[in-house]
Amino acid sequence: MKPFALSRFDLSRCYVNGFHVSFCITASSPLRRPSPWAAGLFAAAFLYNVPLTHGQELPADHHGSPPVTLHFVTWKADHPRAWDEAIQRFEQAHPHVRVKREIAPHSSTAYHDLLTQKLKNRDVSLDLFLMDVIWPAEFAAAGWALPLDAYFPRNEREKFLPATIASGMYRHQIYGVPSRIDSGMLYYRKDLLEKYGLSPPSTWNELVRQAETILEGERIAQPLLRGYSGQFKQYEGLVCDMLEFVGSHNGSFLTADGRRSNLTAPESLLAVRFVREQIIQRLATPAALTYQESESLAVFIQGKAVFHRNWPYAWGLANDPRHSKIVGNVGVTTLPRFSEGKSTSALGGWLYGINAYSQHPDAAWAFIEFMASPALQKYFAIHASLAPSRLALYADPEVLHANPQYKELFPVFQTAQPRPRTPVYPIVSHILQRYFSRVLAFPETDIIEEAREADRKINQFLSLIEDAKK
Amino acid sequence: MTQSTQNRTTGRLMVVPALMVVAVFSLYPAMDSFLLSLYSKFPGPERSFVGLGNYLELFHDPVAHQAFVVTLGFVLLSTTLELLLGTGIALVIHERFKGRGWVRAAVLIPWAIPTVVASQMWRFLLNDQYGAVNAILFGDQVDAYVPWLADPWMAFGAIVLADVWKTSSFAGLLILAGLQVIPDETYDAARIDGATAWQRFWHITLPLLKPALLTALLFRTIDAFRVFDLVFVMTQGGPGDATQVLQFYGYKTLFTEGRVGYGTTISVTVFVAIAILSLFYVRTVGTKLMQREPA
Repeated sequence: MKPFALSRFDLSRCYVNGFHVSFCITASSPLRRPSPWAAGLFAAAFLYNVPLTHGQELPADHHGSPPVTLHFVTWKADHPRAWDEAIQRFEQAHPHVRVKREIAPHSSTAYHDLLTQKLKNRDVSLDLFLMDVIWPAEFAAAGWALPLDAYFPRNEREKFLPATIASGMYRHQIYGVPSRIDSGMLYYRKDLLEKYGLSPPSTWNELVRQAETILEGERIAQPLLRGYSGQFKQYEGLVCDMLEFVGSHNGSFLTADGRRSNLTAPESLLAVRFVREQIIQRLATPAALTYQESESLAVFIQGKAVFHRNWPYAWGLANDPRHSKIVGNVGVTTLPRFSEGKSTSALGGWLYGINAYSQHPDAAWAFIEFMASPALQKYFAIHASLAPSRLALYADPEVLHANPQYKELFPVFQTAQPRPRTPVYPIVSHILQRYFSRVLAFPETDIIEEAREADRKINQFLSLIEDAKK
Repeated sequence: MTQSTQNRTTGRLMVVPALMVVAVFSLYPAMDSFLLSLYSKFPGPERSFVGLGNYLELFHDPVAHQAFVVTLGFVLLSTTLELLLGTGIALVIHERFKGRGWVRAAVLIPWAIPTVVASQMWRFLLNDQYGAVNAILFGDQVDAYVPWLADPWMAFGAIVLADVWKTSSFAGLLILAGLQVIPDETYDAARIDGATAWQRFWHITLPLLKPALLTALLFRTIDAFRVFDLVFVMTQGGPGDATQVLQFYGYKTLFTEGRVGYGTTISVTVFVAIAILSLFYVRTVGTKLMQREPA
C-alpha cells in the first residue's frame, strides 16, 4: 500500500462496535498497520529525530489500545460550524483518535504569537497547527515544523496548486499541506455597474473612473456610497493589499533573487503614490486605515462600496441573506492592473503542519491527510467557500455550482504572488507595515524617503540571514 | 547580649522566606532578562553574545525613538489629566451627601473593568460606522461620522482618553485617602478667620494633600509608562506607528518577530527608566514628604 492513501475515509460505520473498530484500524487506516509502512515511518522518525512513543503511536491491533488525543491549535474560524462538522467526521472515521482543539485568536498575527510561544518552549502537548503561507520558512529554520517529505511524496504534491505547495517548501523540504488557497480578488456591485453600462474594470485607473461615475450618479440616492473598500490598517493584510498594487505595476518588494529590498524602484513608488492619492484620498473613506478584512467586508455587504478587495471566503458571506444586503448583486473578478503591468493577486491561505516535538506525528498525519482530502476540501468549498488547494476540484461540478466564480478565477489561483519567503518574514512584514501605513496615514510624508528607510532596514535583516547561511 | 544575637538570628531567619520570594519572582527574572538582552537571538537554535550591542542598536533605532516620544507624550498627558480629574472626583465624593456610598462605588467601576475589556469597548464606541460617540455627536447625519482611530493624532488622543476614563478614579481614590486625614478643625479655624472656600482649598486642602497627590502621581506615571493593552486592542500601534508605545514595540519584536534579545532589551530599558523615575520620586519628593509631615 502506498503511504499516502486518501481513498478510504467513509468509515462512518466503524465506531458502531468493537469489532468494527478493530476492523477499521487494521484494514482501513494505513497508518496503523505494522507493515513496510511502519518501517518507513520509523526510518523517517530516526532521520528527523522525532520522539516516537510506540505504545501510543502504533497501538497493537486489539481492543483496549490507548486512544490518541491530538492537540490542534487553530484559529477562531470564519465558518465554525463547517470546522466542527469536519472534525466530527474525522473522529468518526478514526474512532481511536480524538481531536482536541485550542482556539486561538482569529488574527493571523495574534495566532502566530501564541503558536510560536508554544513552539519556542518545545511544547510536546501540541501536535497540529495551521501555518499561514508566510510562516513555513520561519518554522522550518527554527526547527518547529516537522518535515513532511516522507508522508507527502512528490506525486501527491502534484495534485495541488503549485503556488500552495511552493509556500510550504523551505530549502527543498516540505513542511505543510495546503488546506486551501487564498488570493486577493475584486468584488464589485454587478447591479451598479450594469446601471451605468460599465463592465468590470481591467486597470486601476479605469476602476477609479468607474467608481467616480457611479458615485456622481448616486450622490443623492446613496450619499454614503464609497468607491473602494479594502484593508489598510497597520497589520499583515496591508502587506497583501499593497503587494497587489505594487505587483500590478511591475514592482516587487524584494529583488528577483530575494536578497535585497526593492521598494525604491520607481514602479513601486508610483504604485504606492497611486494608493495614497487615488484610493485612500479619493475613493475609500479615511476609515479604511482602520479596516481589516471583516470591517471592509461589512462596508461592502451593507451596500456602501462599489468595489471591494478581499479573499475568496467573502463570496459566501456577501451572498448570505442573513448578513448581506447585496445578495445576488455581487460580481467577482481578477484584480485590476496598471496599464503597464499585469494583474497581481497576493497568495494567502493556510497549511497544516505538525509540531516537530509532537508525540503522535502519524496520528497527526492521518488528520492532515483526512482534512486535506478531496472529499473534505470539497465540503469546505461548498459550505465555507474556502477555495480548494487541489487542482481536480476545479473541475468538480458541485464545487463549481456552489462557486461559479472559480471558473474565471482559476488562473488567478495559479499565478497568485507569494509574499517574501524568508525566515525573518515577521520582521520584514513589520517594516513594510510601518512604511505603508506611514505614507498612507500621513499624507505629507515623503514616499521616497520612507521607502529608502524601509529598504535599509529590510536589507539589514536579509543580510543577517545571508550571513547565517555562510 | 546572647539574647539579642539570638533575636537577630531569629529575625533574619524569618525574613528568609520573603527574601526568597523576591529573589525567585523578581530578582531572577530581572537578571535573566538582562542577560538575555546581551544576546542576539532569532527564531532558531543559535544565539550569539553581542554585549551591549542591542542597547547601541536601540539607541540608533528611529522606530524606538518614535515609540519613546509617543510613550512620553502619553505619560505626560494622561497623568496630568488623571490627577486633575482625580482631584475633582476626590473632592466630590469627600463631601457628605445622600447616596454618597453609591456614588463612591460607581466612580470606581471604570477602574474595576479589565483594561482589555475597556479598550475593546472604546474601540466599539469610536467605530466609524456604528460607534456610539458618532451617534451621540452627529445623530442622523451619518455622512459626518468621524473615523476617530484612522487619524494619527485622534488615535493618540483616543488612547489617552480611554486611559483617563479608566484610571482617573484610581487617582481619585488615592487622593480621597489624603483628604480624609486632613482634620476638620483646620477648616473650622479657617472659617472663623473668614477664609473663603477657594482660600480654604488653596491654603489648606492643597498643601496638606500633597503627599497623596505625589503618591498618585508616582503610581500613575509608572503605570502609564507600561501602557500596552490599550494600544494592543484599540490600534495595534497604527496608523503609521502613531500610537506605538515602547511596550508594544517590545512585544512585537519579542513575540511576533522572535527577536528575543532585542525585544528583551526594550523591556529592560523600560524597566530601568521606571526604576530611575521611581528613585527620583522617592529621593526628592519622598524626603520632602518626610519633612512636611511633622509640620
